[in-house]
Amino acid sequence: MLLHPPVLALLVVSSLVTAGLALGVPFALRVVRHWDLASGSERQVRLERGTSLVSAVLGLVLAAQALSLGLFVFAAESLSSQITGAMCATGTLNATPFGFPALGLKVALFFGAAVWLALDRLDRDGDDYPLVRGKYALLVGLAPLAAAEALLQFLHFAGLSPEVITSCCGSLFSVEGAGVAAEVAGLPPGPAMAAFYLSGALVLALAARTWWTAGRGGAVLGAGAALGAAAVTAFAAALAGVVSFLSVYVYESPHHHCPFCLLKGGYDYLGYPLYSALFAGTACALAAAVSGPFARVRSLALAAPRRAARCAGWASVLLGAFYLLSTWAVLRSHLGLFP
Amino acid sequence: MIRLEDVRKAFHQGSPNEVWAVRGVTLTIEPGSVTVFRGPSGSGKTSLVSLVGCLARPTSGRVRLGDRLVSALPEKFLAELRRRTFGFVFQQFHLVRGLSVLENVMLPAYPEAPPYAELRARAEGLLGRLGISDRAGARSEWLSGGEAQRAAIARALVNDPQVLIADEPTANLDTERSRDFLEIVAGLKAEGRTVILTSHDPLVCEAPLVDRVVPLRDGRVEGAA
Repeated sequence: MLLHPPVLALLVVSSLVTAGLALGVPFALRVVRHWDLASGSERQVRLERGTSLVSAVLGLVLAAQALSLGLFVFAAESLSSQITGAMCATGTLNATPFGFPALGLKVALFFGAAVWLALDRLDRDGDDYPLVRGKYALLVGLAPLAAAEALLQFLHFAGLSPEVITSCCGSLFSVEGAGVAAEVAGLPPGPAMAAFYLSGALVLALAARTWWTAGRGGAVLGAGAALGAAAVTAFAAALAGVVSFLSVYVYESPHHHCPFCLLKGGYDYLGYPLYSALFAGTACALAAAVSGPFARVRSLALAAPRRAARCAGWASVLLGAFYLLSTWAVLRSHLGLFP
Repeated sequence: MIRLEDVRKAFHQGSPNEVWAVRGVTLTIEPGSVTVFRGPSGSGKTSLVSLVGCLARPTSGRVRLGDRLVSALPEKFLAELRRRTFGFVFQQFHLVRGLSVLENVMLPAYPEAPPYAELRARAEGLLGRLGISDRAGARSEWLSGGEAQRAAIARALVNDPQVLIADEPTANLDTERSRDFLEIVAGLKAEGRTVILTSHDPLVCEAPLVDRVVPLRDGRVEGAA
């Protein structure tokens, strides 16, 4: 099914990302090994000249990589009608052994790219390349993940065929089933909902605090780590909550826990705004978390709090939208999970 | 203080037509001084002032302005520093044809976006100081060589730079106009500005107001190790 338009687009993006990183990694390694601003050597001057161009190219490449997550899920959903046994994206992703690993890597790369873009933007705010080594070291770490993701994605789409019989979401996200998906589906809704809202309240409070404090040039050193940890926790709790109780409320069916059926028109395509807000909001929270602590760097003393405040503000808005949308979906449901 | 540390500059590096215009220049230019880079054509004078004025980056070596390492600055910081710190008078003046003298003088200040009235007053003040107020409305292509040079100096000073750089400023002027130019330089020196000139004109190199003449040949400071 390689000739499906979204699949072609994804393969083009992954080829560009892999090519961009293949070109960028040797430069990144030279920066990590040889960068020395105190030196006026020809090699150092060449690195200084090259870093703006390489950063610009890699920024575009990683932004494309991050956006391809949405397209990947859309492609999986749209292909489900052509695969025997698939009812939604779950069936498509489950049709080959590479689908879910590719999705997992895409999610990891989405957040990795978000952090890299935040560091790159901040680095360009300083007049002495303050984060140049760190951001290129991170890039060297992301490159194998991107290559693996491109390979898994290709193998997945190449292996898809109408003749392949797959299982639908009902068997994967089943309380009676085995595996992580089934365990998450089997979480009791009460504690899952408590974790969902408590972790949400915490990340929103910390994001708002960072926005307020950093926006006034205040210290955000400790808040950065706390916000990052809260964002990761809230993200995990949000995904678990979607599977455990939110999907059930939306489908108004106590045994239907699939997080991908939310993308269907029958449920008003609720999954698209819901997941967009969650992923983008978490990415902004992580960007704020990694930006804030660099206020202690001389050349970033002004820029780091400003960037952290801006990202935290967006995180508050987007994550706020996610929790409001989730609450609205629960309140409008005719299903009552609790007596 | 401007300091150059073992600065080298190559053009077309790695190509068969590779040229090393500057070959390991180390020197210090004191603030408020008038320095002349003297040398024959091809000695690296223009390349060197381009490096000092941050118009070009060295192939190796460092340029410092005070404590600040300017040759390594990312481009957006460099553009800002160049605009605020250096004023340039090019050998061919490079006034924009079709614009009036006043508009030419005001042009470099636009990125800073000062209030228009304030900018216009500043530009008119500079033209008055340089004695060409009456040519403010004339198009730049109508000016004589001496007038064009004064307009170029006014343009170089509109952002109130700490350093004025002039490349072969008297190359196209007769003796009288060259003396006028040196008077302007004396005024700038008296204001505490640093002036850097390139020239092989004895009138400039031997002028009493010049604090230091740096002889250049083949991209090196003559007499330097």
